[in-house]
Amino acid sequence: MANERDEVHPFSDRVDHPYWEGLGAEELRIQRCAGCRRWSWPADWRCPACGAYDMVWEQVEPVGRVYSWIRTHLPFVPAYADLVPYVNVLVELPQAGGARIMGLLTGSEEGIRIGAPLTGSFQPASPRTADLPVLTWSLGEQVAA
Amino acid sequence: MKPAQIAAVGYGSTAYHKRGKSPDPERKLLLKAIDDAAAMAGIDTADIDGFVSYGADLQDGPRLTGPLGTKELRWSSLVWGGGGGGSAGAIAQAEAAILSGQAETVVVYRATAESTSGRLSSAVSQGVFGLAYRAHGIDAPAQALGLRTQRLLEAEGVPASALKAVAQASYYHANRTPWAVGKDLVLTDEAYDSSRLIAEPIRLFDSSRENDAAAAIIFTSAERARHLTDKPVYLLGAAYGAQGRWGEMDENHEPYHASSQAAPARRVWERTGLTAADVDVVQLYVNFTGPPVSALIDLGFCTAETAGEVLTFENLVAPSGRLPINTSGGDLAEGFLHGMGNAVEAVRQLRGESPNPVPGAKVCLVSGGPISELSSVALFATEQGGPTPNRSTA
Ligand SMILES: [Zn+2]
Repeated sequence: MANERDEVHPFSDRVDHPYWEGLGAEELRIQRCAGCRRWSWPADWRCPACGAYDMVWEQVEPVGRVYSWIRTHLPFVPAYADLVPYVNVLVELPQAGGARIMGLLTGSEEGIRIGAPLTGSFQPASPRTADLPVLTWSLGEQVAA
Repeated sequence: MKPAQIAAVGYGSTAYHKRGKSPDPERKLLLKAIDDAAAMAGIDTADIDGFVSYGADLQDGPRLTGPLGTKELRWSSLVWGGGGGGSAGAIAQAEAAILSGQAETVVVYRATAESTSGRLSSAVSQGVFGLAYRAHGIDAPAQALGLRTQRLLEAEGVPASALKAVAQASYYHANRTPWAVGKDLVLTDEAYDSSRLIAEPIRLFDSSRENDAAAAIIFTSAERARHLTDKPVYLLGAAYGAQGRWGEMDENHEPYHASSQAAPARRVWERTGLTAADVDVVQLYVNFTGPPVSALIDLGFCTAETAGEVLTFENLVAPSGRLPINTSGGDLAEGFLHGMGNAVEAVRQLRGESPNPVPGAKVCLVSGGPISELSSVALFATEQGGPTPNRSTA
């Protein structure tokens, strides 16, 4: 839950920095081993399959499906207090080896269930999101932009 | 099974104070718990030569030697990582210390007081989760464990009634435990069903609340234990760890709905030749009610398919239930000391001193911190040779 990914300074030295940098450029990037091509998530320094340190980042479509979800009723996070109750989704990305990322659900909550398709949209950094660009998710298949 | 080689000879536990309301700072609370454990064991605190805790406890061995008058410090260790998942792992470390001859008399303990370690404000309630969580409005254990519990319910098909049964059994036992923080709260169906949602699917009464308290158990060799007390509680086996694809994984561990109990449980069963069918009573870590249900599945007490019929209130309560759990109320309703109260109640139960005795109980399992990044299992018995394995229902 809390880990080394959050204990590295400066921010640009973090192993997952390319992920956040990608979101700022409106790209969803997931880590992958350059050697054996295994998807690697959460991002880390070493590929457990082949031992390589040569890790690259690949852009994938910001679509996925609900792996799990919660509806938060208490203001655990002050910056989200005005949204209570809000739904978070754990999004599975089949196109990235089943990597799972967390996000806020926006729009209709009707039909929220495990397996439901989700479409992501890029949001700029804000005080709410700990000054980081993020993806938010809405239920339903992607509509052509 | 090889006869048990170490045993618990005494335990001590302070009152469970409301968070931030302990009259004593953390170390003083702990010293009093150790005093009580030593008095029960009939040993001089100065003879305790090993110290083991877990969950980032601040009170390492060298901080205790002064006031305890320790003659010789021979072991001081902490289960590294996994928070409350290390609660029974600390017992495994005590076993390692004694069996290897590094130490003779080892105290396993946990102490938390808001005034000292500020656990709730700094360690669990805010900022403990990484940016992959916080940026999205997730920064509380109830939320992360809510995600895992939702998967257990919706994808694995475990009925929500199993969670409710864990909560109601905990409060039922607490209602019969004079010192329990939940002594006066009768958790009726209506009270549970109407309790407020915290992080769906988790309700208020699915959640533990933190206390200021300390508890300690003293272990020594089985041989020495028999000379010290007429009620040694033998440790048949203990293990900690996690299976592969588990650890600090930002919700990417597998299997996601599971606990991290499968691997340590397998090792304890292999070592003892026993199975869940040989266990008379279980003390489970209950930070929220989902994780202990996952743990019971991984420990072999039921499956996802049978959880609904096995994990009922009637089955989970002493003295009549087939699978009594948390017989002093547990983390949910006796008081929350990061799981340490569970090991204490295991020893108390097998000494025949539980407020909710399980008739004829000979074997008690302690499950430490299910769904943590690592977790642990300890199996205690009243007899050094353990029970005759019950193969019929395994
Ligand atoms: Zn590789």
